[in-house]
Amino acid sequence: MKRLAINLVILASVFFVFAACSNNSKDKKEDTLIIGIDDKFAPMGFRDDNNEIVGFDIDYAKAAAEKMNMSVQFQPIDWKTKESELSSGRIDLIWNGYTITDERKEKVLFTNPYLKNAQVVVTLANSPIAKLDDLEGKVVGLQSLSSASDALDNSPIKSKIKEVTEFSDNVLALNDLKSGRLDAVVIDEIVIDYYMTKEQDSFKVLNESLAPEEYGIGVKKGNEALLEKLQKALDEMNEDGTAADISEKWFGENKVLQ
Amino acid sequence: MSLDYMLSILKPMLEGAQATVLLFLIAIVVSIPLGFLLTLAIRSSIKPIAWLASCYVYVMRGTPLLLQLLFICFGLPMIPGIGEYLVLDRFVAASLGFILNYAAYFAEIFRGGLLAIDKGQYEASQVLGLNKWQTTTRVVLPQMFRIALPAVANESVTLVKDTALLYAVAVPELLHFAQTAVNRDFTIVPFFVAGIIYLIMTLLLTALFKWLERRFKYE
Repeated sequence: MKRLAINLVILASVFFVFAACSNNSKDKKEDTLIIGIDDKFAPMGFRDDNNEIVGFDIDYAKAAAEKMNMSVQFQPIDWKTKESELSSGRIDLIWNGYTITDERKEKVLFTNPYLKNAQVVVTLANSPIAKLDDLEGKVVGLQSLSSASDALDNSPIKSKIKEVTEFSDNVLALNDLKSGRLDAVVIDEIVIDYYMTKEQDSFKVLNESLAPEEYGIGVKKGNEALLEKLQKALDEMNEDGTAADISEKWFGENKVLQ
Repeated sequence: MSLDYMLSILKPMLEGAQATVLLFLIAIVVSIPLGFLLTLAIRSSIKPIAWLASCYVYVMRGTPLLLQLLFICFGLPMIPGIGEYLVLDRFVAASLGFILNYAAYFAEIFRGGLLAIDKGQYEASQVLGLNKWQTTTRVVLPQMFRIALPAVANESVTLVKDTALLYAVAVPELLHFAQTAVNRDFTIVPFFVAGIIYLIMTLLLTALFKWLERRFKYE
């Protein structure tokens, strides 16, 4: 018993030293930008087959950091706590399809919008729902604390919907749609476009969209210097065509806002 | 789904399982002794100490672990004045939360173990002429650990599964990598793979505790 206990203590202390060392190497340097991302948000930021973080926002952020002469470190975060992460200083930027809303503007600083998006309504391909008004009395799902819920709140159809169910991520909502518990899902247009390429025949998107919206990059309130520097880098990327190239790679067209 | 696909998603998940296993080891190794100290404090004859320890157990058992993790990680840096010095590394913050929480549960488990020891054991020790220290270390504690073992095993298995809360403070773990694969490939197969990995981990743990129980049988 005693020997076992001693062994366990030694094992634990080895782990502790190991963990401490790896923390030291990650110590925050002045010229490193720590970017908070949602690594479950294809195609903006997600993990490829080799578990590397990839996506439009990832390439875009890397290019911007290069312009700013800084290095980047991507920190996958729980999207529900993104503003807490930012205000506690653990991350420098929120950069992953982060929709600009008035409510968020009170908590964080935003760059100029760089991408257009819309909140759209998705149903099963064989569903009779064809326009927004058909959602009356139906059950609708969406990702919790995403701008999809804001878009729905601002729409007059909200009061007629039977029930709104919130999910921790979009795929769970889409799966629930497939299993028939939901009649429709409100989701980012950019995201459903990606999933439609994965599964072509299951879904259809209503022509009427809920709300147009724009993505921006979130900076901690009070850090105007970083915001200015970042905005300058983004403007340069627009001028020299870097932004257009990255957009071509991920979307097949230039969608970046000038 | 094909076996090839399962193998391809296995690698990141095993990486995530490292965080799971590391947190488990740290939490179990630190919280068991801490829990034992807490038990002693609760039974202490010095009233303020006993009262404080009971309060601690009440707060730690009475609030969700998730809430405690969020408080340590995001709440502490918000405290005016000293907050900026309390920005702990994520993994350290998470380990702290698990240790503090599980120590409270282990304290109650050990207290139960002490209560289960028959009064006759103390009387017999007295008759044999053992002093208080000898009674505690040679008669009471060995029996207490043996009695507490199944409950400790139970709590340890719970700990393995609770590590899934790690991603709340942005430490990627096993279940998180399953979710990233689910979101990328739009299939729920990775959840099954994650379930199998959890089962393997708890199987090993169960076997370990079975062995310990056999080893410390005293009948």
